[in-house]
Amino acid sequence: MTLSTGRSLGLLVCMQCHATVRALQVPHPRCPRCDAHLFQRKPHSLALTAALLVCAAVLYVPANLLPVMHTRTIFDDEKDTIMSGVLVLLHSGSWPIAVLVFIASIVVPLLKIIALSVVLFSAWRRSPRYRTQRSELFRMVEFIGRWSMLDVYAISLLVALVQIRSLAYVAVGWGALAFAAVVVLTLFAARTFDERLLWEPPP
Amino acid sequence: MPVIVCPSCDLAHRAGPEPASERTRCARCLASLQRPENGSIDTAIALSIVALVLFLLSNAYPLVAIYSNGSTRAATLIGAALGLYRQDHTGLAALVFITTVVGPFLQIAALLYLLIPLRRKRRAPGQNTVFRLLAQVRPWTFVEVFMLGALVALVRLAAFTQVVPGIALWSCALLMLTLAALTSRTSPGQFWRWVERSRA
Repeated sequence: MTLSTGRSLGLLVCMQCHATVRALQVPHPRCPRCDAHLFQRKPHSLALTAALLVCAAVLYVPANLLPVMHTRTIFDDEKDTIMSGVLVLLHSGSWPIAVLVFIASIVVPLLKIIALSVVLFSAWRRSPRYRTQRSELFRMVEFIGRWSMLDVYAISLLVALVQIRSLAYVAVGWGALAFAAVVVLTLFAARTFDERLLWEPPP
Repeated sequence: MPVIVCPSCDLAHRAGPEPASERTRCARCLASLQRPENGSIDTAIALSIVALVLFLLSNAYPLVAIYSNGSTRAATLIGAALGLYRQDHTGLAALVFITTVVGPFLQIAALLYLLIPLRRKRRAPGQNTVFRLLAQVRPWTFVEVFMLGALVALVRLAAFTQVVPGIALWSCALLMLTLAALTSRTSPGQFWRWVERSRA
């Protein structure tokens, strides 16, 4: 049984307002309802997503190794990476928060990079198996991706608050920038990926 | 017979003559296709006004304050971005500012701008441009993530000093809930249903 798709019927979907539109043979078609540009598929989707994903994967290393925060007090100068921040929370007795930060900052970005790679690879291969699961995996990645920003916000508040010059001083480390870049790059990677490529007929 | 094409997998579906009475999903990829009518335009405008007030409160008052050795220090929402900017992390500051201040504000302002004329069966000038701006801004509003981040910062600080939650922390939590309710009631599908009804 062959299923009718938008492509086979000559229909386009507007990515902004989700209107179904008859495809017109003009150079740059626009949605008659909201004026957004219409595409059969997002342009250069696989290449763009792959490029953003590689950048994110490379930056994941400094994001975890470089300190995200320096705490200077009169007694010592402490450098915290994401992981040591989790350990500090664990030792201070608030393990639910420690688990939360661990999942949001370490597990989620890693899973996101892996999941997007899997989805990207199967779209490129036009693999016919587990399509529904891959589609749902992609939508889950889109949904949870934003939660990785958690630690960036926590650090920004600590920086704003702990500025008692002579006593304690918190400075942002370069790890925080790498970390935020990973989050933003994976968010863009998910946005440039066209889910419909998971459903193309096998070559 | 009207046809709806799934934006997630390109499968064509036949749509009934009536608007869907319950949420429908794509037969192939299970993405949500149509959402039922969800509240009136008045509810959406009321929620937008509540969100605007909460947004202003969240920016006018401090989120948290710490006391140590007799001195007090408070941080506001903008202060969080400003602290990063002062330490020459302009990129990070911009990211925090856009996702916690600019994003929510643009979302609320755009909705009010679009919905108030629509209620009187009129269309706001540049309606389609503003709608597309709204669709672009929406994924970059991270108020709920910021709230959890603030909680993490509070827990870390509570180990060293006395921490006092400010008014903005509570208004921010309410803003988070209001924005969630608002977003679910002003989906693109719902918005264009209102537009089409205003034409009739």
